Amino acid sequence: MDKKEVLENLATAVIEGNKDMARENAQNALTAGIDPLEAVDQGLSKGMGVVGAQFESGDSFLPELLMAADTFSAAMEIIEPAIEARKQQVHKEGTVLLATVKGDLHNIGKNIVGTVMETSGFEVVDIGIDQSTLSIIEAADKNKVEIIALSSLMSTTMPNQKELIEVLKEMGIRDRYFVLVGGGPVSQKWADDIGADGYGDTAIDAVNISRSLLNARSDP
Amino acid sequence: MPSLLDYLERAVTGPILTQKDFHMKVLIPNIRKIVKEFDIKYDPKDPVPSDDALADRLYEASIEFLSMTGLYCADTNRIIQFDRKEIEKGLEDYREAGTFGEGRDRSVLRPRKPGDKNPPFCHIGTGTVATSEEIAMAQVEGYASIPQANSISIPALSSVRGIPVVGGSPLELYAVFNSIEAARKALWRAGRPGLPILNLCSAATSATGTIAGCYPTVGLRPSDGWLIDFIAEMTVDFNNLNKLTFVTYIGANVGSTDLVILGGYAGGAPGTALVMTTYHIAGCVLMKGAYHLTGPIDMNLGCSSTRAGTWVLSVVGRATSQNTRYCAIALPYAVGGPCTKMYFYEAAVSQLAAVTSGYAGIQVSHPAKAVVNDGVTPTECLFNAGVAHGIAQSGMTADRASELCNRLLEKYEEDIKNPPPGTEGKTYPELYDLKTHKRSEEYDRLYDDVLEELTRMGLPFK
Repeated sequence: MDKKEVLENLATAVIEGNKDMARENAQNALTAGIDPLEAVDQGLSKGMGVVGAQFESGDSFLPELLMAADTFSAAMEIIEPAIEARKQQVHKEGTVLLATVKGDLHNIGKNIVGTVMETSGFEVVDIGIDQSTLSIIEAADKNKVEIIALSSLMSTTMPNQKELIEVLKEMGIRDRYFVLVGGGPVSQKWADDIGADGYGDTAIDAVNISRSLLNARSDP
Repeated sequence: MPSLLDYLERAVTGPILTQKDFHMKVLIPNIRKIVKEFDIKYDPKDPVPSDDALADRLYEASIEFLSMTGLYCADTNRIIQFDRKEIEKGLEDYREAGTFGEGRDRSVLRPRKPGDKNPPFCHIGTGTVATSEEIAMAQVEGYASIPQANSISIPALSSVRGIPVVGGSPLELYAVFNSIEAARKALWRAGRPGLPILNLCSAATSATGTIAGCYPTVGLRPSDGWLIDFIAEMTVDFNNLNKLTFVTYIGANVGSTDLVILGGYAGGAPGTALVMTTYHIAGCVLMKGAYHLTGPIDMNLGCSSTRAGTWVLSVVGRATSQNTRYCAIALPYAVGGPCTKMYFYEAAVSQLAAVTSGYAGIQVSHPAKAVVNDGVTPTECLFNAGVAHGIAQSGMTADRASELCNRLLEKYEEDIKNPPPGTEGKTYPELYDLKTHKRSEEYDRLYDDVLEELTRMGLPFK
């Protein structure tokens, strides 16, 4: 099997959510001496990109994205040791802390955002629902994240998004993190009013805004 | 048939697995398998299907799906399992629907069938829209003045004496007390003191808030309706089970409720319809509800008024009304806000789908995705009630509704995806005089125009 075919098979396996095919071709890639990072970038990630685009256009849904991500992970279990052996690193878009604010017990929106961000190359630290301002800040510090993404599904819990930004300012660490807000009753106007760095109407928005914020910061 | 206590025991003794494994190994594979096995297919050309066989398959599929999947308890990471025979017995044992309200304002929520000429129960208001303290009472008075109103959804207060309400805090309790007090006063003012409040309690996010609101002097009555949520796809939590246990104990009307995410864990329209129908069944069997409040919401667009959302609402209504007496109230969301023509097109589509598909009741379509503070007025409520009664009394068929929906969808389908500026509409203070609470001339004109346009298209209005 030539290199092109192996890479195409890896992409197809992710698109079809076929874990057996992904594992088999991950092994084929290593046996054929393909650079493991190339197998990730030109095979698995390419497939993930196709599923991501279908998801963004509404041609596929969350289950397809989850199956693709699961397949990606199955192949990575085989490829990752080879990457580590070569002291290489898979490119990460950035690290994001996800939380639903204090008083709010909804997690479905946050989980969907987490899944879409993870499958788009971000490292996601999800600390769950009903999280107090200080526990969010502590987790952000501990995990050295670049972005704090806050979900709130009720108008009565939205003030906790504002509180987090104010406490970051009081602690003198507001510049350390980008703060994104989202959730059913949250709007761009609310994000502007409380001084958030971004607002996502959809999970894809969260990915795009995070990328543009991180890119803008790394540009000289 | 198992009691609530038996099911609660299963929440702490059922099979244990992580949430991720529940999604990847149970939920998603089961949805895919059942949708394929029962041949549940979405036809975008027919947003209000009249296919009885499809509806019956969907219902059967949902019983099978619930018995295969169960409900995941997020607090214990265990699955509450359901045996097929228990499900069937639970549905069979369902008593007649709830009686709501007091005195002359008392109403019975009665089952309807597709094409039923009896008007649906009209649940007026949009409780999830955050509302200012100064406006809440006028809003409720406006809702109660609508003659077709059978029940009221009271607003969620955004502040108490100027202090923003924080969910889960004592301020939430203040919001609960104040919102109920304001609503009761408003109902007296409107001359309909016995109208039931059916969204108890949108200000209460926690079980503590719900239970506190039930203290006798606060103003709630067992003849009101208490909403108990399924928090995410096929998932329950202790917060809602705590509410359920309390409301069941005091003998009040339980309203099981869900808002299935179209495009989320359930996948596309067929999977969403499957999960939504399953919630209806689980609401009857587990929660032993008096009613079920339900609707789909598009994951990216935040509304129910898409073509696929309309199909889901319709097919679930037909499946559940044909096969069970457990009464459902349709819960739609629109992208357009007050004083936009788009809102009225979207609301008309949702009510055409709901009324002709046999829903026992309808709720007002929530304007502007329910995200704009003070972003709802009595005018949208009046429209939804008038259209719902008009459609029912005309005896409109699903086929005719589908034809009208297709024509209306053409008017706004593209704008849902890329809303033009101003789509969110205006707020109560912008559209109503805050002293007299009369509607502005601008809104009078738009409302008259849109009513005339829709009536000319063949939409009945009472």
